[in-house]
Amino acid sequence: MFANFRQAMTWLHTWFGLVLGFVLMACFFFGSLSVFDREIDRWSLPDTRFDAQPMPSFDTMLAPVFERLQPHPVDMAATAGRVVGDLPPPETMSLESLYAYTTHRDPVLLVGGEFGIPNKPLDPADDHLHVHGWATIDPRTGAKLPDDQLKIGSEFFYPMHYSLHLDWKNLGIWIVGLAAFTMLIALVTGVVMHRKIFKEFFTFRPRKRTQRSALDLHNLTGVVALPFHFFFAFTGLVIFAGAYYFPVSHSLLEPLHERHEIAEAERTGLTHERAGVEAPLASVDAMVAEAKRRWAERDMAGEVGFLTIDHLGDANSYVSIFRAGTDRVALVGEAIYFDASTGEVIREAPPRSSVGAINAFLTGLHLQHFRHWLLRWLYVLGGLLGCVCIATGFMFFVEKRKKKHAATGNLGSRVVDALAVTTVTGMVIAAVTMLVGNRLLPAELPARGAWEMRIFWCAWLVAMIHAAVRSGAVSQARINPAWREQCWVIAGLALAAVALNWITTGDHLIRTVFIDPYWPVAGVDLSLLASAAIAVLAARRLALQERVVGHAHEARSHRPPRVSRVGG
Amino acid sequence: MLWLVAALVLSGAGMSWFALAMPAHWQQVFAEPAARSLRGALRMLGAAAVLASAGCCLQADHASIAVLVWIMLNTGAGVAVTLTLAHRPELLRPLLPFKLRPRRA
Amino acid sequence: MRVPQPLSMNGAIATNRPFALAARVVLALVGGYALTWGFVALGIAGLTALGNDFHEAEMALLLLAFLVYLGLFLWAFVTSSLKLVVLVFGGGSVCMTACAWAVQRALLG
Repeated sequence: MFANFRQAMTWLHTWFGLVLGFVLMACFFFGSLSVFDREIDRWSLPDTRFDAQPMPSFDTMLAPVFERLQPHPVDMAATAGRVVGDLPPPETMSLESLYAYTTHRDPVLLVGGEFGIPNKPLDPADDHLHVHGWATIDPRTGAKLPDDQLKIGSEFFYPMHYSLHLDWKNLGIWIVGLAAFTMLIALVTGVVMHRKIFKEFFTFRPRKRTQRSALDLHNLTGVVALPFHFFFAFTGLVIFAGAYYFPVSHSLLEPLHERHEIAEAERTGLTHERAGVEAPLASVDAMVAEAKRRWAERDMAGEVGFLTIDHLGDANSYVSIFRAGTDRVALVGEAIYFDASTGEVIREAPPRSSVGAINAFLTGLHLQHFRHWLLRWLYVLGGLLGCVCIATGFMFFVEKRKKKHAATGNLGSRVVDALAVTTVTGMVIAAVTMLVGNRLLPAELPARGAWEMRIFWCAWLVAMIHAAVRSGAVSQARINPAWREQCWVIAGLALAAVALNWITTGDHLIRTVFIDPYWPVAGVDLSLLASAAIAVLAARRLALQERVVGHAHEARSHRPPRVSRVGG
Repeated sequence: MLWLVAALVLSGAGMSWFALAMPAHWQQVFAEPAARSLRGALRMLGAAAVLASAGCCLQADHASIAVLVWIMLNTGAGVAVTLTLAHRPELLRPLLPFKLRPRRA
Repeated sequence: MRVPQPLSMNGAIATNRPFALAARVVLALVGGYALTWGFVALGIAGLTALGNDFHEAEMALLLLAFLVYLGLFLWAFVTSSLKLVVLVFGGGSVCMTACAWAVQRALLG
């Protein structure tokens, strides 16, 4: 197939890296933004700009919230297609289980639950069917946040990085899975290809021609952050492995899985099915207090991160209280289970096994519930280094081939360059335009979130068209001016976003940094300013480069034609 | 908090010493050929600094977090040293005490 | 009379190269996935049969799955014989999946 091992690795790195690199740009860029997803939520939803709150009292604050909770219309529609006959009216449905979820960065609380339905499923394997309801509430008052307000960070940028918002049959999750797998391939093949990996560890020659300096930067960002890139791609795959990529226990080994569930329920006392006997709910606040006492006893004092109640209103009902993993990598843990009607402790989760601990560490390092601002910013650094690695990969690909393609009329370099502009500067333009739109759209606009998403996709489409139209220069072995032009657009949009935040909310930087510090919003504004500065620097350097390359091109085209064949 | 600052400084120093141990980068910083005898010592110094940085990280946080902070600090330090070598290599001169620096002819 | 085949610079037969490459890519991706699936299934069923907790076995195998898949994928590209890849991936995945199913049947009685 290939002449030797290294050639095979090179082919794989080049072609898989190129094709899936466009998807990986989205994963790394939106993944980097997702590190501060809650902070971006605060910026986009000014009503939520207050301090992070701990889990509020269940008995006084949350119980009424759950009493008011309704099945969500979106899930009603989704479930209606999976059952025989019509669903009963939502007001008549009773809540069978509920959850409340918060982290140390959340001012608002996420709540939800499952509502029981009498209908039979269309597909008999689709058992335990429920309609879901969910809401975001202000834990200080119990007030519900309007549904059509989009949390741009946690509800748009974050799902973008693992599903590309391509939800039809989970196609996006599969594409991202293939991209993540390609990242692993690219890292291994890259190491094989890079002969002087230790000798050139600190090598970067910015003044050499683009092909050399792009390759230097590609190697640098790939090698110096290799543990980061490998572990993020790998743990991302592991997180979705059980549910999507290798759902063995839900298909081939489903019977064995069921047997295990039933045995577990018997062993732990956390019964799988309802008893059918009604029972009241004891004081959940007392259970939370007991859980906190037990954690403190184990030298692990902490806050509640996740609270669930199963088989609500039934004799088999139990309350599960999980500790927020703020001080360690594992997400939530040290669960304590209570009998819902008596308030007695049924069970304390035992310490994790070695496999369990490794799994918790790996998933936790990706999902980041820990409280460590330095590590979060280092994660953003890692993510951006990944973006630079992929972008310089594209640049190297184009630089290496564009002269030859210009001579033979091959459109390959032009297409790759246009797609590179689209997924590098174009993607940033789309994200910042969305933030600008968030500030410009009327506050009371119905389906405001849907409009913000439309703005995002339209801006990206325009950036792609612009990149394609301007890429004619690449066919002549020159630099695509779209790079420079889109850098200026990014700078302008980023500055506009900061200004609009000031104008529409009054939260300017002097206020959010000095007078009445509110770091989530200050952080986003400062990041936007830094992005604008980098974009301007890049635009100016590109202008310089374009002039240099343009002059060389002019000189070449005005030279008298060379006689290339002797005696021809 | 101070432990993390120490860890950051030690990572930076460690990466710088690793870089200086390579003749090409020594040349960039001191504009003179490297003394072979110093290469081994610089590598050991670099390794010691990077390990000491790990120790500082462990003092600051739970072990599971410390290992991640340490790895990422070294990543950042690697980038910082490379960019310094590319644009302002003379900034790395203070990393060697006066006595050991190449004497100007 | 034998028609001489055109040769590319490294000696491989040039005419079929794009098709051969495409076949190799599909085989590596799909076949490697299938064999990994068999490995995960047999691993979970096997470890459970040996007395381990099902959930623990599942976690352990899912941690290994992508590392195994990565190795198999790269192997498919460095092996010269396409036939060997088909044999290992096809035969291996069918065997392992069948064994996993058989172990499950035995366990559930």
